[in-house]
Amino acid sequence: MRLEVVRLELLARRRSTLGYAVGMGLYTFVIVALYPSFQHDTSLDKITKSAPTLSALFGAIGSLTSPTGWLNANIYENFFPLMMLLLAIGYGASSIAGRDEEGTLALLATLPIARARLVAQKVLSLVVQGLALASIVAVMVIVGRSFHLALPVGHVVEASLATLLLGLDLGLLTMAVGARTGSRGTALGVGSAIAAASYLVSSLAPVVAWVRPARFASLFYWSIGNGQLSTGLTLTDAAVLVLVALAAGVVSIRMFAHMDLH
Amino acid sequence: MLDSAIATFGLTKFYGRNRGIEELSICVERGEVFGFLGPNGAGKSTTIRALMGLQRPTRGQATVLGFDTWSESVEVHRRVGYLPGELILFDRMTGRQHVEWFARARCLDVASELVGLVDRLEVVLDRPVSQLSKGNRQKLGIVLATMHRPDLLVLDEPSAGLDPLMQQTFHELLREVAAEGRTVFLSSHELDEVQRVADRVAIVRDGRLVVTDSVDHLRANAPQTIELDFRGPVDPRQFEAIPGVQRVHSDDTRITLEFSGAVAPLLRLVAELDPVGLVARKADLDELFLQYYRSQESANAP
Repeated sequence: MRLEVVRLELLARRRSTLGYAVGMGLYTFVIVALYPSFQHDTSLDKITKSAPTLSALFGAIGSLTSPTGWLNANIYENFFPLMMLLLAIGYGASSIAGRDEEGTLALLATLPIARARLVAQKVLSLVVQGLALASIVAVMVIVGRSFHLALPVGHVVEASLATLLLGLDLGLLTMAVGARTGSRGTALGVGSAIAAASYLVSSLAPVVAWVRPARFASLFYWSIGNGQLSTGLTLTDAAVLVLVALAAGVVSIRMFAHMDLH
Repeated sequence: MLDSAIATFGLTKFYGRNRGIEELSICVERGEVFGFLGPNGAGKSTTIRALMGLQRPTRGQATVLGFDTWSESVEVHRRVGYLPGELILFDRMTGRQHVEWFARARCLDVASELVGLVDRLEVVLDRPVSQLSKGNRQKLGIVLATMHRPDLLVLDEPSAGLDPLMQQTFHELLREVAAEGRTVFLSSHELDEVQRVADRVAIVRDGRLVVTDSVDHLRANAPQTIELDFRGPVDPRQFEAIPGVQRVHSDDTRITLEFSGAVAPLLRLVAELDPVGLVARKADLDELFLQYYRSQESANAP
């Protein structure tokens, strides 16, 4: 059986994966190329100072004209994770529950492959899709060093990897809900709700005192919400993200093992 | 029983409070073509999903080729070819991509035998599945189910969408499979198809097994249908009193009876009524099937 399911999944999603990667790559390049035009524009920083809560909602905290501030406000704390989550949650919902609803899952589930391996190959397919998106963003941001965005390459790679792990966490949680309920719609709803709540908590924690204690429950906080682009990913950040992904993967496998298919 | 192709013991599947199948016990021997009959919603697909390890039984047990269908489903899948009742393929892939992908997934070479099968069924390989008719998709599904020469073929409504000539070719294929000692489990609501290819049948209704028997034995015990033509209208009620008459249908000057048992009392009455025409024939499986259904309905009536 080798990796035939991975091949099939990537073949089926090649257009959307390419679309996400090309679109995100172009967007990142434009943001990077615009930086020299804004790096001395102090009026931008006044926005975050005068309306910190509103700015935080859009992922803009602190200086917008510093390299990390510019990239966080335009890519890493909003648009990039949004695209990653669209891809991951969408795949998480469709890969099991969606395939069962459309009727193609039975074709795969009646091949001589254990259900656990079938899920594992779907997880691997999600990793490959997310990696394509994260890689193109990282490459474009590293290209940005030519546009005065002088950031350590290691921090860029780590923040991109952290966003990939964030996508994996929520994609796999969505997959588990899909395997438990058999409903693509329910899985999408639950996955999106967790992602939205997680984003809100992480964004508002620095500026709203009563939200601050809840930041540890937010996956955004552990991936890009705690200054990872400027300081790099800590071992604790990585451990939390990897453990959640592993746990969600195991739950997905267990749920799928008991799922009635059509 | 472990040597059977399929054996179920009290197989039961509920969806919440809704019954899919209940206490279904059947045994299919190796090398036979077994027909699984029932109307839509009778529980045929539920049974097949349990046999294929797609759904876990609520109670009871099922083994296929000696393997438990749930806990040893990988071994079952290695040896069984499956055609779902509602075959959904990957729309953007062509037939050829399907065949190649499934061959790789089962670690097969695309052998010359497979090419022969594709030619024989006139499978369209070079167009995306989304552009194929239902019949052409079904033919592709048959190739995917049979390409690894499984010991058991589980086919859920396999003739759906096939034209009569292709149905004939498909039935020949099934007979060849059985002649090689392999087993076919064929679910259908097309009685005509089942009586042409099956050695034995099981009839299910409302999730329960109604009868299991050989086609020949069922036919031998089947009621006769007798059509009588008269010169004028005849009161049909006088036939209902004759022992063995099960149903009477009146259409002006024609009376149609379903009848089993001693024929003399019926003939005496018919002779008195001076018919102008009489045709008697054995009921086919279709009528027998309906008879089983009616008897179940009357048994269940309050």
